[in-house]
Amino acid sequence: MRLALTAAALGFLALFLVLPLVTVFVYAFSEGLRVYAAALAEPDARAAVGLTLVTAAFSVPLNTAFGVAAAWAIARFRFPGRSLLVSLIDLPFAISPVVSGLIFVLLFGMQGLFGPWLVEHGVRILFAVPGIVLATLFVTFPFVARELIPLMQEQGSDEELAAVSLGASGWQMFWRVTLPNIRFGLLYGVVLVNARAMGEFGAVSVVSGHVRGLTNTVPLHVEILYNEYHTAAAFSVASLLAGLALVTLVAKQLLEWRIGRKGRAA
Amino acid sequence: MSIEVRGVSRSFGNYAALRDVSLDVKEGELVALLGPSGSGKTTLLRIIAGLDFPDRGSVWLDAEDATNRSARDRRVGFVFQHYALFRHMTVLENVAFGLTVRRRRERPPRSEIERRVHELLALVQLEGLAGRFPSQLSGGQRQRVALARALAVQPRVLLLDEPFGALDARVRRELRRWLRRLHDEIGITSVFVTHDQEEALELADRVVVMHEGRIEQIGTPAEVYHEPATRFVTEFLGEVNVFRARIEDGRAWLGGAGHPLNTRSAGPSRHAAVYVRPHMLDLDRGPESHGAISAEVVRIHAAGPTVRIELTTEVGDRLIADLPQERFESLKLVPHELVFVRPRGPRVFSEDYSI
Repeated sequence: MRLALTAAALGFLALFLVLPLVTVFVYAFSEGLRVYAAALAEPDARAAVGLTLVTAAFSVPLNTAFGVAAAWAIARFRFPGRSLLVSLIDLPFAISPVVSGLIFVLLFGMQGLFGPWLVEHGVRILFAVPGIVLATLFVTFPFVARELIPLMQEQGSDEELAAVSLGASGWQMFWRVTLPNIRFGLLYGVVLVNARAMGEFGAVSVVSGHVRGLTNTVPLHVEILYNEYHTAAAFSVASLLAGLALVTLVAKQLLEWRIGRKGRAA
Repeated sequence: MSIEVRGVSRSFGNYAALRDVSLDVKEGELVALLGPSGSGKTTLLRIIAGLDFPDRGSVWLDAEDATNRSARDRRVGFVFQHYALFRHMTVLENVAFGLTVRRRRERPPRSEIERRVHELLALVQLEGLAGRFPSQLSGGQRQRVALARALAVQPRVLLLDEPFGALDARVRRELRRWLRRLHDEIGITSVFVTHDQEEALELADRVVVMHEGRIEQIGTPAEVYHEPATRFVTEFLGEVNVFRARIEDGRAWLGGAGHPLNTRSAGPSRHAAVYVRPHMLDLDRGPESHGAISAEVVRIHAAGPTVRIELTTEVGDRLIADLPQERFESLKLVPHELVFVRPRGPRVFSEDYSI
């Protein structure tokens, strides 16, 4: 019985997870190493990689800061609107990424709330880098806070209070007690934010406008190549994302192992 | 340093944790806040430490109003119930923390900090464990690290929240005596919270008995034990027998003897509760003496320094009497025998049924 269940689980995993991953690399190299290298070296591809990196470079630090602040407020204080904040944090998980993108179109588009004002002042948000960054920020907001809230609630505030009663300032308490205690949970959240920021398709697709070499991120570039029947090139670029996924998985495993070990030791 | 709490109240939502509490702690005193869970003792301790703030009333440290000062500025050493050691720091780093977070001008040099930490670790008898992490220590050791950490900043007051709560019985007794010796050695004003009356009576100079957010009585261990001021204090400070009695002419009548009331005003009540500790019940086989009640011996526990006798009165009340071994041997009591019980030095309180 146990053998059959294990076999079923592993078979399912192989069929739906491992096989597609292998396929990505098989197709990527189907026309040889030269085509693979050329697909990545092409200017539009390089621009897409650059934009993806820029997006992640904004999303990761900003959402780390927002996430820690939100988690701290929720885990440590009782204030009016606290439960509203908890559900708001989950909002990006609850709605489809496409809807997330449309929210920004409604806000900053020509017919949108701030559209006319933005045009008047010559600020471009939609179909430009700021829109992509904003949409990605929105979609990746929950990861850090979600990871930290239960962790901080479980640890309680006694160590922080002890630090204060020993004469530590707020910042000293944060850097020397709070942060070291949540570091692995935080890193775990950061890894997830990064993976999602680089891989996000739906929300970014809505706000990007698909301007080649300007507003295409890696996932959008893959779609364009695929739609234009550059199968090998599409899979070559996609292999970057697949590689990122593998690195993320390994990092996630290592961190989970660290968190688990810490939890048992304490 | 002296501590003065004046008319402090604190509520959490609809729940009143402290109601108009006032308390004086003199320089160098060791005071116990004793009460069941939910009596407000920990809230009071946290308010003194500046970890919580009163809705009304004030806290004075050394005749100086500290009500609005943060915990950081009060120079108060606080030992948490579960120690709250910094889990990612070694014992040495934990104890040194309070010194290393000081502003650069006030911070002692590294060599001085190390010297002080080792001095403190010697004081709490943990010299060999400076490099260990909290997770590698036993409960009693963690407790002493927490104490050394609190003492490192040379606090003016030491506050301890259930300092022995998480330890097993033997370690608890050892550590209790050790803490008393330590207090006598360094003479720091100390307040500790406990729900264990034995601990409070053995360790403290004065005991503050708390109940439902109020102070029921403040006194020396002997005072609160022998002259409890309220029914709650009487019941909380150890096993006690209760007799129901009628009030007539300002006295509570029990077995033909009238006992004076200890309640300040008898009020309109006509019923009294007469409290007698097990070792204050005399047993006799002889003829009914003045103020004695007849009861049947139910069970005899002869193991221990005294012999414990369980009895039932005619009206079905259960009693416990502790007799000295010699007295028990001369009486030669057997189960199901009828004896006469005479209370010595009872505490009598009128019963208020209107509440």
